[in-house]
Amino acid sequence: MIGGLFIYNHKGEVLISRVYRDDIGRNAVDAFRVNVIHARQQVRSPVTNIARTSFFHIKRSNIWLAAVTKQNVNAAMVFEFLYKMCDVMTAYFGKISEENIKNNFVLIYELLDEILDFGYPQNSETGALKTFITQQGIKGQHQTKEEQSQITSQVTGQIGWRREGIKYRRNELFLDVLESVNLLMSPQGQVLSAHVSGRVVMKSYLSGMPECKFGMNDKIVIDKQGKGGTTDDPGKSELGGSGKQSIAIDDCTFHQCVRLSKFDSERSISFIPPDGEYELMRYRTTKDIILPFRVIPLVREVGRTKLEVKVVIKSNFKPSLLAQKIEVRIPTPLNTSGVQVICMKGKAKYKASENAIVWKIKRMAGMKESQISAEIELLPTNDKKKWARPPISMNFEVPFAPSGLKVRYLKVFESKLNYSDHDVIKWVRYIGRSGIYETRC
Amino acid sequence: MPYFGSEEMVKELKRALSNPHVQSDRLRYKNYITKVIRYMTQGLDVSSLFMDMVKASATVDIVQKKLVYLYMCTYASDKPDLALLAINTLRKDCADPNPMVRGLALRNMCNFRMPGMTEYIEQPIVAALRDKASYVRRVAVLGCAKMHSLQPNTEIDGRIVNELYALLRDPDPVVVVNCLRALEEILKDEGGVVINKPIAHHLLNRMKELDSWAQSEVLNFLLRYHPRSDDELFDILSLLDSFLQSSHAHVVVSTLRLFLHLASAHRAVQADALLRTSAPLLATCSAVSRELRFAGLCHVQQVMRSQPGLFATHYKRFFCGYSEPSYIKFRKMEILVELVNDENVSLVLEELRSYCTDVSPELAQAAIAAIGRIARTYSEKCLDILTGLLALKQDHITSAVIQTFRDLVWFCPQSTAAVCQTVEAGVDRPQDSEGKQALLWLLGAHGDQMGSAPYVMEGYIDGLKTELSSTVKMELLTATVKMFLCRPAETQDMLGRLLHYCIEEESDVCVRDRALLYYRLLQRGAEETRRVVTGPKSDPSMSVLTGRQEEPISEWASTFNTLGPLAGRDSCPQTDAISAADQPSYSAGEELLPGSEDVTLSGPGDTEEEISLSLGAPLSHESFEKMWLDLEILHRQALGVSRPRTAPDTLQASLQLEKIQTLAFTPADTVPWKAYIYTRSTGTLILAELLQGATDESLVLSVKQQPVNQHAIRRFVSVLKSVLQTLNLE
Repeated sequence: MIGGLFIYNHKGEVLISRVYRDDIGRNAVDAFRVNVIHARQQVRSPVTNIARTSFFHIKRSNIWLAAVTKQNVNAAMVFEFLYKMCDVMTAYFGKISEENIKNNFVLIYELLDEILDFGYPQNSETGALKTFITQQGIKGQHQTKEEQSQITSQVTGQIGWRREGIKYRRNELFLDVLESVNLLMSPQGQVLSAHVSGRVVMKSYLSGMPECKFGMNDKIVIDKQGKGGTTDDPGKSELGGSGKQSIAIDDCTFHQCVRLSKFDSERSISFIPPDGEYELMRYRTTKDIILPFRVIPLVREVGRTKLEVKVVIKSNFKPSLLAQKIEVRIPTPLNTSGVQVICMKGKAKYKASENAIVWKIKRMAGMKESQISAEIELLPTNDKKKWARPPISMNFEVPFAPSGLKVRYLKVFESKLNYSDHDVIKWVRYIGRSGIYETRC
Repeated sequence: MPYFGSEEMVKELKRALSNPHVQSDRLRYKNYITKVIRYMTQGLDVSSLFMDMVKASATVDIVQKKLVYLYMCTYASDKPDLALLAINTLRKDCADPNPMVRGLALRNMCNFRMPGMTEYIEQPIVAALRDKASYVRRVAVLGCAKMHSLQPNTEIDGRIVNELYALLRDPDPVVVVNCLRALEEILKDEGGVVINKPIAHHLLNRMKELDSWAQSEVLNFLLRYHPRSDDELFDILSLLDSFLQSSHAHVVVSTLRLFLHLASAHRAVQADALLRTSAPLLATCSAVSRELRFAGLCHVQQVMRSQPGLFATHYKRFFCGYSEPSYIKFRKMEILVELVNDENVSLVLEELRSYCTDVSPELAQAAIAAIGRIARTYSEKCLDILTGLLALKQDHITSAVIQTFRDLVWFCPQSTAAVCQTVEAGVDRPQDSEGKQALLWLLGAHGDQMGSAPYVMEGYIDGLKTELSSTVKMELLTATVKMFLCRPAETQDMLGRLLHYCIEEESDVCVRDRALLYYRLLQRGAEETRRVVTGPKSDPSMSVLTGRQEEPISEWASTFNTLGPLAGRDSCPQTDAISAADQPSYSAGEELLPGSEDVTLSGPGDTEEEISLSLGAPLSHESFEKMWLDLEILHRQALGVSRPRTAPDTLQASLQLEKIQTLAFTPADTVPWKAYIYTRSTGTLILAELLQGATDESLVLSVKQQPVNQHAIRRFVSVLKSVLQTLNLE
């Protein structure tokens, strides 16, 4: 199992080191620094073997996290565990950065003590951890007897993700559909690969032990209902104007609270939600994706010292919607000496340090078009190497789900307490962001 | 590592911690303690503060307690006598009414790594195993394992083992899993925790309550259980079915491994499980985190060894993103090569070509090599692309293309003409030694088809003084001698100069010896030289060995979901070590990792049945002889049977029935009697010699093999033995 966990900054200084098992010596900390962080070359594999010891490492911004083991373990599990660690830490103090880790150093040791024992994962649910590891720290003695028993019942309860006796004055639910759309397009506008990976994130503030049921426009469910009765067909065709009616989900996975057996048999998603924020499901679609932007590049080499670039972007969604935070990154050759840019909308700037022209537009409505043209002057070089032409990448945020997913209903049933589905205030929001959205030029 | 001024720092801390004013101000005191831990993390030796830290442990502040315990666990082994002072406080805490405090104290007491600790912790652990709070029970169960690891050689305490087995029925899921983990460590020498039918069924029923880490581990433990009947087997499989769709990649992969293991006798079930996991596996391959993506790709590669077609329609998912790290790109390219079929070949090649101009030369070369692999099946399209790449006039690309050409000519001779034409039409001289060697080999082996070959070679001979690499020089010698044999008139003069230089002026001993060898060989006459130097220009039987065959699932299932699949090409020789160490019965203790020297060859017993022998293409006497001389004896054993007294034809026929070819044997009555036989099995070639000294002695078998596969050898020996025994009975 995991013999030790180390956290380093980008210089290789140890920020956190926790050893769980005897077989990991104190020199292991230095071995990783010397062999990986200071190696000054590309990481060759996320698993590095040094003197019969395996180091599983991930990097978050400038921080290295490494799990060390001497045994032949399941690699995917160790990586997922490291991500879970990151999630827990993010839930406690926000972004994982050197400063945050230094400031919360005691807290991290406390967490490491609870999450792993003797190298075995024990308790990694943020909700449960937050009840007994608080940033105030001294809570231990000021707790009443009742609180104490509550904590232990939660830490050990059958439903690990929710404790009994939660009460709220206002029962509220927030549902976010967060999608990232990934695209790789050829210069001719042919889609080489495209997929949407989405998450349904919920924040629930509900009293008691409610039973929830979540419905969306999953193709399999809609088709099944369509066969059942034809009465609601006219209603549907009215809705049809807003896009397609159902989507085909390639694969989806759920939070452990969802009853998988019910999903398998009836494809309905029912669950007792955890309290607070959590991720209900993840899914991926590859068919009929609405690509919010189309990028049309035109690169012309004028002689050996000049390049002309013209890039047109077209927004491809309903005119009433607004896309935000649009950023187009047009790579330039390494030997660029000067750039003149003209753009119709937004601001564009040549950033020499990043070797790219960065074009930013604050917002843009649907079915619009905008273009940028640039003249790039090049220094003559004797380097015969042809410029590799990295793809043009794009970032944006749109207020709809590019996969076409729609939430149809979210019902709440709580039989013991006297509130019903109507009393719950529900909020739904769709956000589509760009993942890796690239067009080759 | 000690820092400058570290001693000062420690002294200052010591002063502060023993200052009564600081001690009375709780916040300041705690700040100093935090500082100690901070220095400890940075690698400073703060063990001299032990006494002051022990004092600080007597506090009501839980956080401060935790910090002090962390400190004590780190340094307890250095200062065992002082650590004993802390034990009293800890034992008192073990009886605290707050379960969190009890658990914390017990956990840290067990973490003290020093001899003699056992007598202090045994009693609290045993008491805590029956604690009413499950938080304490969890700690106590793992405490048993820690206690055992303190004194690994002592007798196993049967009472604790029984207690732990009983706790497998605990209502708390984490306690259950911890019990398994603890038993596994305590009973390591006896083969780990025993999974019998009631335990297996109990665990299966509790699976849903466990968190994902525990699920993964329990699935690994269940690998040890063998269901009694098919009905039970299918019950288990249907219980586990939903885990194939789990949201955690590691649970999916663990479940798949268990499925493959349990259903090893049911091919259809295995195939179905693979089909159903293909979606989650693909999802892992496009996961947000690159490390998981990497792990997913490695496992996809494993699955493809048996089911190459499974992912064929999803080939676009393996196109590389521009910003992906190179370790992912390398894997994706390897997969793309395997996925090529008639429909997607042009798109895949188009994609691979765009990688050839990648900024990283290593990646570009790998992409070119990938195109070369595809060229073995689709030569024309690939040759066009490769030729096009030469026009870019980039050193690293040119070199890689020429190396690819060399391999291509060797593997598929029909492309020789096209390659020769391209090389002749003008190729830049590669600058690195691998590229030079490849070009020289091509010139030497196929010089007769390239008009300008001698002149290119002359350029190299003239530039010999500036050449640094001795391997290039040796290749040049061989190539020139070969060229001389087919085009003597143009080559004679330069060969003379080359030999003269290499014998008289060269400082590298290897090169000089090689030159002398060729010189003496040439003195024996051209015919003699030709017989020695020119081998076959390509080896068609190689393609049989390298061609894609579907391997049985059992070949890789035993290493699935371990470090094995991730080890990759660079550490390939060590992967055997991993597979040997990780037998289906997951063994917890000291396992071998890549980099270990002691390769144990005890393979999993159940994979042996799957290895079958095959005849393959017949081997010529010459190539057998050559290989026999090249290889070393891997295995030698007395078979315990004497030579069958049957006619030689009968022996040959019965061996052939079992797919063993006979190459030659001595007449029946000669002493010693010898026979040479060979066979093929899952990608390896086994050569063997049977020898009988005196008339009634036992036969001695010597085996050579390429590439090494111990399972195949064992299979071969057992088949051979049974054949000989039956013949002797008759």
